[in-house]
Amino acid sequence: MGRRLRIRIDYDRCVGSSICVLTAPKVFALNAEGQSSVLDPEGEPEERILEAAEGCPMMAIVVEDAHTGERLFPR
Amino acid sequence: MIVQDDLLAPEVVRDPYTYFARLREVDPVHWNERWGGWLITRYDDVVRAFRDPERLSSDRMAHFVRELSSYDRERLSILIRYFSRWLVFTDPPYHTRVRMLVNKAFTPTSVERLRPRVRQIVNGLLDRVESKGRMAFIREFAFHLPVIVISEYMGVPPEDREQVKEWSDETSRIFFIRADDPERRERSQAGLIKLLEYFEPLIHDRKRNPRDDLISALVQAEERGDLLSHDELLATCTVLLFAGHETTTNLLANGLLALLQHRDQWELLRQNPALVRSAVEELLRYDGPVKATFRWAKVDVEVEGKTIRAGDRMLLVLASANRDPAKFTNPDDLDIMRNPNPHVAFGHGIHICLGAPLARVEAQEAFAALAERLPNVQLSDQELRYHPTLVSRALEELYVEW
Repeated sequence: MGRRLRIRIDYDRCVGSSICVLTAPKVFALNAEGQSSVLDPEGEPEERILEAAEGCPMMAIVVEDAHTGERLFPR
Repeated sequence: MIVQDDLLAPEVVRDPYTYFARLREVDPVHWNERWGGWLITRYDDVVRAFRDPERLSSDRMAHFVRELSSYDRERLSILIRYFSRWLVFTDPPYHTRVRMLVNKAFTPTSVERLRPRVRQIVNGLLDRVESKGRMAFIREFAFHLPVIVISEYMGVPPEDREQVKEWSDETSRIFFIRADDPERRERSQAGLIKLLEYFEPLIHDRKRNPRDDLISALVQAEERGDLLSHDELLATCTVLLFAGHETTTNLLANGLLALLQHRDQWELLRQNPALVRSAVEELLRYDGPVKATFRWAKVDVEVEGKTIRAGDRMLLVLASANRDPAKFTNPDDLDIMRNPNPHVAFGHGIHICLGAPLARVEAQEAFAALAERLPNVQLSDQELRYHPTLVSRALEELYVEW
């Protein structure tokens, strides 16, 4: 297993494009309001999670190293 | 009748905001008899509609075809064949598959790499006019920037740009519902055929000689077989090209007009260049390039206590949602420091504008350079005229001097 990640959704930005859900479906899901939410930050490999964050047209996903707090996306 | 229903009446075209503000207040889910559809004008209702692709379809061509005679269906068969594969007019699962294929090329991270080149293009355009002391902003600036940027990104050679832009404009005629263009369907198809004929050899070339451009990337998706068919590839080339043109032009023109009509905001931007990002968001909200977008109910849907029947069409009025006082404080004020600014100028949900990150980069670079290089720019004496269309907020021209 890789390092543990902390994933945050910026709800002022999230528009429910679903791109994160389609990229990393075990990590992200749309909530009842149609915005993204984190199901399981360990549901997919780190690479896939970063791909999901980068794919977001609104830059609404922030990914950090849960241990060190290092910002992994956006850089 | 609660309000008059002519959406192309001169006063509505000139100032849609006053018209829609009244509608938003007195009848936010309004049946427009003349147009034959529902107008949705409140922010919350518009956003909810965008988040409901399962019940509200974007399949414009299905409804277009339904209303055609069999003679017209035959006559417009090429138009139907390709437009029905345009991302904006499709529903999942097709939309999901193609969107995911092209999304990577348009993420904020991907388009950020284009920023230095966009800045160069902006400065090149300003170099040509700076010493003149005045310009026709659309013809001399706002028209060129998006055409150059999307053409270069896609891989359309510079010498073909103007021609391709003309065909793209012809193609778009069908969408910008106008009061004065009876031949628009035929002209639209004729333009599309030209574009298809243009892209065919370009695609073949990229199969043999792949380059670092969007057409090459799409060709690779087609060659992987199950990802993209040849028709889908052609359709996607034409829609990306088209979508990268007029909307960005209008964002730039409407945005500059708004800033120059609110001199304090122009001065604020000039003195604080770092505000350009929030300024662009506010210009998108305040007077964005797209007034409205369509959906079709697949089943009966309740909105604000009214029943929209299966098959009915709806106009989601972005220009109204973005001025809704229930969502935005002082919505009719231009405030380039507004934050947060959850406007819906790029839509919302699964159809959120693919090119939004690119449009943002172009607009940020354009307004930053304008504020720096033409600090004293002002509106020339002119009568502002807008194209009489339902969907786009498009000035005919914007004359400025400095």
